[in-house]
Amino acid sequence: MASEVARERRKPAAESTAALAEPAAPSDSPPPKKLAAPPPFLLDFFPLEEAKQTRLSPFYDHLRAGRLTTTRCRKDGKMSWPPRVVCPDCHTSELDWVDLPSEGRIYAFSAVLVGAPLGMEADVPFVVGLVEMDGVPFRLFGRIVGANWESCHIGQKVRPEPYDLGDGRFFYRFRTSA
Amino acid sequence: MNLGRGVALVGGATTKFGVRAATWAELAQEAGEALFKAIPALTSADVDSLFVGAAEPERFAFQSHVAPFAAEQLGLAPRKVIQRTELACASGQSAIRSAYAAIAAGLSDVAVAVGVEKMNLPSMAEANTSMACVMDRAWDGAHGATAPPFFAMVAQRHMLEYGTTEDALAAVSEKNHKYANANPNAQFADKTFDRAKLGRLPLVAPPLRLGDCSSMTDGAAAVVLVAEDLARRYTDRPVRIRGTGQYADFHNLANAGSLTDWVGLRHAAKEAFQSAGIGPRDLDFAELHDCFTISEIVEYEALGFCPPGEGGKFVLDGRSSIGGDVAVNTRGGLLGCGHPLGATGIAQAVEVFDQFAGRVAPARQVPDPEWALVHNLSGSANVHSVMIYQGAS
Repeated sequence: MASEVARERRKPAAESTAALAEPAAPSDSPPPKKLAAPPPFLLDFFPLEEAKQTRLSPFYDHLRAGRLTTTRCRKDGKMSWPPRVVCPDCHTSELDWVDLPSEGRIYAFSAVLVGAPLGMEADVPFVVGLVEMDGVPFRLFGRIVGANWESCHIGQKVRPEPYDLGDGRFFYRFRTSA
Repeated sequence: MNLGRGVALVGGATTKFGVRAATWAELAQEAGEALFKAIPALTSADVDSLFVGAAEPERFAFQSHVAPFAAEQLGLAPRKVIQRTELACASGQSAIRSAYAAIAAGLSDVAVAVGVEKMNLPSMAEANTSMACVMDRAWDGAHGATAPPFFAMVAQRHMLEYGTTEDALAAVSEKNHKYANANPNAQFADKTFDRAKLGRLPLVAPPLRLGDCSSMTDGAAAVVLVAEDLARRYTDRPVRIRGTGQYADFHNLANAGSLTDWVGLRHAAKEAFQSAGIGPRDLDFAELHDCFTISEIVEYEALGFCPPGEGGKFVLDGRSSIGGDVAVNTRGGLLGCGHPLGATGIAQAVEVFDQFAGRVAPARQVPDPEWALVHNLSGSANVHSVMIYQGAS
């Protein structure tokens, strides 16, 4: 529904642009110019995950290869979330990519039953939660799939899972263990 | 932390809060009209500085550079300091705090702090997107996180750790809506909510129901702050700013630490209480940031109104009502008034002035108050801002 709203908003704008450009256009006039932006999605309003835009592009490359990773400082061992280009403790930039554990436990969860942002309205209802993992000094937040909110519980085991956003980009979520 | 010279709040006013048929600029103009009406001695020429609390005008109203934009709406030409303050849900208090600092430092003598937010748009999903951008957008917002699921997790953990009940959450909503019924500018001034009705409202983000959540609201509010020696020009009941504190300890949800012990609020409150030379038991009333019912419960505990885990009992026992230990959210709170992000902190200060002046409706008037506290959190309770005011004795 959200992307429908976005499309509906854009359509008249594109048509009026074409009309302004060629007020007396004959029927074989060129079609309205195609808009460059994809429907808004909160990962980015425009795709910004590639190396030409972000120094963290390896994170997304790793996801594509099935790995959920973050950065760890070579100097003081600080593991951060989200991944960084400068260590927040010692302020140096010698960071390594490390794999996060393949399993965690739900620390807290809820569900979005109404009020989803643009691009996510069709996903409602969806479960989100904070996941704790052994040896990791933070709790990862993300979508939880494989169970509805009524059947999730604190302490439940979940596994991180990369997924394709459908436009060539990858993100991560958690799936409840069988 | 006490600054150079004393600073006084000499009055303020709000627009009607709600789903308003009015733009950002029109709301700002209405706040100006209400302000000059509330303080008859104030002239435009008196105002040397303007601080504009606005959280997301770029997304909600497609307008940047809102400080001079607001000045024009209010008919002001600031000659000392003009700036916008943005701190999401605490943008309003941030404007007041900045005005306080500027006056105390001698940069300004007479300052207006105005807060404006226009949140209701034809597309609710667009507004929800704006709210998701308050979070770490690329890492938290990208999963669909807005405020309700975060505060729902706070409630879930508080229930698990302390046995807090849905009835306690509803008691917060019932109390604040009851006071909102005595505040004609509140979004829900005309709607009654009792605990039984609140329990039947639909779930938004379990365990939070509709009545546990503040709303998307359009509104504006403005106050005037002056150097203490100028205060009597404008009112015979000046209210002094006596203490303030602020603390930010994380942004990404991954780094939140305890969800139920708001360490940042304990730090900000300690700083504010120490600078004012008082403690929580000295307070007569408090304007707390009840963006969600659970927020107010956790705030009782972090502010020292009651021990950790007993916030639910505190409200159920009536200790946060007028006549209890400390009257909380007599304005109607964010739950009853609505929450136009940039305007909320200013509207709370308006309530503080009006309570001390004894000019709110009798149903929500605190008898003979001396001390008041205002708290705002922002984002995922990762920033806390506190101010303490003393009425004229």
